[in-house]
Amino acid sequence: MWQFRIPTWIILYLLAILVETALLPQIFPVGWVPNLVLPVTIIIALYETPRRGLAAGLIGGLMQDVWAGRLWGLNALTFALVGFLVANLESRIVRDNIFVPGLLAGLAQLLVVPFQWGVLHMVGLHFGWSAFMRPLPVWLLFSMLVTPAIGGLLGFRPRHEVDRKYARTAMSRSGISRSR
Amino acid sequence: MGGFIYRWRRPIIIVLVIMVVSLSLSFTARVHGKVVALSNLIGTVVSPASSTLAYVGEKVGSGVGTVGQLFTLEHETVQLKQKLLLYNSMKLELSELSQQNSQLRGLLALKASSAGWRLKAASVISRNPDNWYQTVVINQGRTSGVKDGMAVIVPQGVVGRVISTTPVTATVMLILDPNSGVGAQDVRSQSAGVINGRDPVTGTLSFQLFAHRPDITPGDAVVTSGYSQYYPAGLLIGQVQSVRKAAYGLTETAVVRPAVNFNQLNNVMVVLSHPSGTSLPPIYGGSR
Repeated sequence: MWQFRIPTWIILYLLAILVETALLPQIFPVGWVPNLVLPVTIIIALYETPRRGLAAGLIGGLMQDVWAGRLWGLNALTFALVGFLVANLESRIVRDNIFVPGLLAGLAQLLVVPFQWGVLHMVGLHFGWSAFMRPLPVWLLFSMLVTPAIGGLLGFRPRHEVDRKYARTAMSRSGISRSR
Repeated sequence: MGGFIYRWRRPIIIVLVIMVVSLSLSFTARVHGKVVALSNLIGTVVSPASSTLAYVGEKVGSGVGTVGQLFTLEHETVQLKQKLLLYNSMKLELSELSQQNSQLRGLLALKASSAGWRLKAASVISRNPDNWYQTVVINQGRTSGVKDGMAVIVPQGVVGRVISTTPVTATVMLILDPNSGVGAQDVRSQSAGVINGRDPVTGTLSFQLFAHRPDITPGDAVVTSGYSQYYPAGLLIGQVQSVRKAAYGLTETAVVRPAVNFNQLNNVMVVLSHPSGTSLPPIYGGSR
């Protein structure tokens, strides 16, 4: 049940941002550091309702915004939308632990970068389109590989499977106590 | 007669053998050369067989020896592989230490050449999670005397300035940041302008010049002008890469490649204070 708790999400986002700010810059050059909040949002939203997916994205994005210390709301809005869309799509597509998270991460990454470019443009930060899009292939590959890996590492499962397991355990316990 | 021979047969045979051997020894001693030739002839006749046998024997012997050596060789290979691994890791460690040593020597040289300046060494502990904002967090804060607005430098040039502090850390806005503005001038022509972060991916800077027709060419060194409230004058910013007309052709903008390698920014110096009117020599050489 821990995967559905908000404190769990906060801890996961915290770890993701720590890795993103302290570890990944040692590997990737300036301007090319990939985002880890996006894969975590996708993994959480895959097993959630759209409303809770939106909440997860909002929490992760807001944490990144606070950490970055600039435009509060840029990442919150972006990842809330990503969480909502992924949770919505999840009920309509086939369930799989590797290809679906990877594919969704790739699609989300394709949407996130132009979306954020647009938002930044609207608030007066005019970055060149080609310069902004240059790291996209690297980020695309990174998120497509890392998202299933994080999913596998965390071992997240759909709510009904977890609930059924708990129900079975509870039933067997009550059966044992009755027999005793 | 027959009974006599039969009775004395053994002594007779022994005497005959001694006589034949004596005669043979005496004869072969006299015809020595022919005996050797005979011996050679026999040797020649049997030599193919001898050499074949010798070859086979040698091979069998060496084969047996090789089988015996296999165990020794296996052990030696394991030992050599371990040694190779050790040497490789030592080599890596050495190159890392050499790089670190070079950076620290640069910082020491900077400190030595800035008499009267109060500098505080700090390490970069994290970067901004958003790629379009170029800020880093350093491990020195208010308790070390670091305040907002202080310039941050390395031996190669200007890094940025402190924009916020906590008791133990400080956030530094790099000159690459789109919101950063540094008063700068061309060393050769003294053309002045403002340096802004231009492109977060290529890591270049935009030098917006004030003059309508400034004298600036690719390869010129650009330093801080001293008009800025944050940066001391004469600190190296970078080198002009290209020059182009800005929108409507009224002014010119130069693309400047920063002198600092922001991908390898580990140790920096915060300028706590510096005597007014003094400036550091713009180029330190860094690694020496």
